[in-house]
Amino acid sequence: MAHFAKISENNEVLVVLTLNNVDMHNADGVEDETVGQQYLETHNNWPAQMWIQTSYNTFRGTHNNGGTALRGNYAGIGMTWDEDDQIFWPKKPYASWVKHNASASWKSPIGDAPELTEEQITQNTPADENTLSTHRWHYVWNEENQTWDLTNDLA
Amino acid sequence: MQKKVLTEQSIYYGNVSMPKHWDIDRTELSHYILQSNLTDTKLKFSKTFDKLTTYIRDFINLKHNINLINKSTWGNIYKPNETTIPLLNIDPVDLRNSPDFTMLYGVEVKECNVRIHFDDNRRKGRSWDIKLENNMFIMFPSTNIYYITNNQKDSLNFVQTITYEYI
Repeated sequence: MAHFAKISENNEVLVVLTLNNVDMHNADGVEDETVGQQYLETHNNWPAQMWIQTSYNTFRGTHNNGGTALRGNYAGIGMTWDEDDQIFWPKKPYASWVKHNASASWKSPIGDAPELTEEQITQNTPADENTLSTHRWHYVWNEENQTWDLTNDLA
Repeated sequence: MQKKVLTEQSIYYGNVSMPKHWDIDRTELSHYILQSNLTDTKLKFSKTFDKLTTYIRDFINLKHNINLINKSTWGNIYKPNETTIPLLNIDPVDLRNSPDFTMLYGVEVKECNVRIHFDDNRRKGRSWDIKLENNMFIMFPSTNIYYITNNQKDSLNFVQTITYEYI
């Protein structure tokens, strides 16, 4: 099964359709994206070049099953197709965040959130199955101060 | 203090901006509307119709997160200076099978005005006017009564209506 994203003129993903693999076989019986695009143009009334193949198992630049990642992320409605970088981008979470092509994801200008300390991880973990954890520590991005703020949801 | 929106009455409108060289063939649509009116038959299905309705469904879903499915479609021809009777696309005694939204598409129109009536709580019977132009769509809840007026004396107005249900 192959997946294709239908994109608008502004490169927004409108819909993602599945296609039988045989419908994208060329004359030699080899899968060819352009054949799939042509099939979709004929049957879905949308220009061939505006159908972009996407991989169901690709997320953040890696393939879940150890295969070859295709175009950064599996496309979803509302995502943006970046033709230059050949990546489907999710919505930008904060205005200040920047693209990180290697992981096909958005990063804060100061990088990832710091790791939780051993103590915080211990507090996040319930002592046994009959008790609840005492804390729920995690970092939340503070766009105003441009910092990662440590937050306890159970406080 | 908090607020909960119980219901919303919105009108969605704009141009059908298809990709280059993939424009809606409005001549073909007006031909089918004429044929359907002359022969009193259902509007013929065509690739052009499919392009139009798919565009509306895709973009309403993308921009407003409303997932639509087609209910029915028909085309009307309005004579010069004609104003329609009050139009309503739901059946008040069969709401289960009535559509949620009505979409009007300007196939070949000139000076075409659409007046949509709505109630604003106790301020009942208000109306909003919008001019329907060629290649433009207007979508609103099917529970709203509306009128279409051909405001000039020279040509016929061709309007295609598609009703939708949201899921």
